[in-house]
Amino acid sequence: MRRRSFLNGVHDMGGMHGFGPIVREADEPVFHEEWEAHTLALARAMLAGLYFNLDEFRHSMERIEPSYYLRSSYYERWLEGTITLLLEKGVISQQEFQARLDELTERRG
Amino acid sequence: MRTVDLEVVRSLYKLPGAVRMKLDVVPKFKPGDRVKARNIHTSGHTRLPRYARDKVGIIQLDHGVFHLPDARVSGQGDQPQHLYSVRFSARELWGAEAPCKDSINIDLWENYLDSV
Amino acid sequence: MSSNDIPGPDSETALRVKALESLLLEKGLIETSAIDELIDMFENRLGPWNGAKVVARAWTDPDYKDRLLQNGTAAIAEMGFEAVQGEEMVVVENTAEVHNLVVCTLCSCFPWATLGLPPVWYKSAPFRARAARDPRGVLDEFGTQIGADTELRVWDSNAEVRYMVLPERPVRTEGLNAEALAELVTRDSMIGVSKVASPD
Repeated sequence: MRRRSFLNGVHDMGGMHGFGPIVREADEPVFHEEWEAHTLALARAMLAGLYFNLDEFRHSMERIEPSYYLRSSYYERWLEGTITLLLEKGVISQQEFQARLDELTERRG
Repeated sequence: MRTVDLEVVRSLYKLPGAVRMKLDVVPKFKPGDRVKARNIHTSGHTRLPRYARDKVGIIQLDHGVFHLPDARVSGQGDQPQHLYSVRFSARELWGAEAPCKDSINIDLWENYLDSV
Repeated sequence: MSSNDIPGPDSETALRVKALESLLLEKGLIETSAIDELIDMFENRLGPWNGAKVVARAWTDPDYKDRLLQNGTAAIAEMGFEAVQGEEMVVVENTAEVHNLVVCTLCSCFPWATLGLPPVWYKSAPFRARAARDPRGVLDEFGTQIGADTELRVWDSNAEVRYMVLPERPVRTEGLNAEALAELVTRDSMIGVSKVASPD
């Protein structure tokens, strides 16, 4: 599953207009959800294990489909970036990932 | 493919400044030089923001030698080169309406720059 | 891209994380202890209290301040914090003449070792887009005043150098020691969107 690249991707947003006010949350926690913490840990672990490098990781997120990029949260992009690279490098396969996801989805109900 | 255990995690980047390369590379530019950012359009990886393309700035600092991210992603090795902090006036980037005293500083690799 | 839009614990996203983690654990590519250590580091051990100590020391020790502005990496290393990304640190000083603001327009790079993980607003499109082009508008939104005559310098952290602002020491703090001063220093002031307030 090779994610294509974009010329002049939406991630390069310095100077763009129209995003609205800067929304702030008082006393925000480091992680809003446990899955965010795990996402960060998995990505950093894969970097530490040299499964991919930081530049590839950033580029992986730059290749996220633009409308998803804009509506997703930071750790959702980290997650997609990590999954994409591990699939592309053959560390995990699409089939086994989907199978595991289906299993967990069924269990959740 | 190594197992990422506690030891691997604890050894990760324990040294501050570990990303900078301890290599002797002759710099092309020095603080005070006027430079122009190249008009790089790529679907590969780059760290040149589009708002700086073709804009003229002044070298403020030489950060030392770093690998080039573009090259690492396209499989062209590290291409170690000097990284500079370049100051662009707000008016250069955003037009005559911008405050005259303001500026933005961007870190740019030698590959991203031409002399002016 | 705000904190309102973050998928919950039963979401598809949460399941994707579980799927990924369980596969990697099963394959022996990662161990639970590594995951726990990373989470502990980011959740508990890294935070703006580190940066606040650097600022307070710079305010009370002129020689340290000189070293800090000359070579941020070395001066911050003196404090003994955990290094996280091996980054080069550059500290930029706010004065009456110059106000500095840090952003990463391309992704959300942030000086983790001194400030911990960035807040959601720093990683959001409104900030990443506007800080570059209209930093005075951003300061306005944060209720921060700077003079029309003050030079505003934005630092776009687009490489592996990480920037931190040394904010101005507020008035009415002459009697305070470094520990008390550190309590006043906020993360926002070290990003440059706010100034440090005087104690009540």
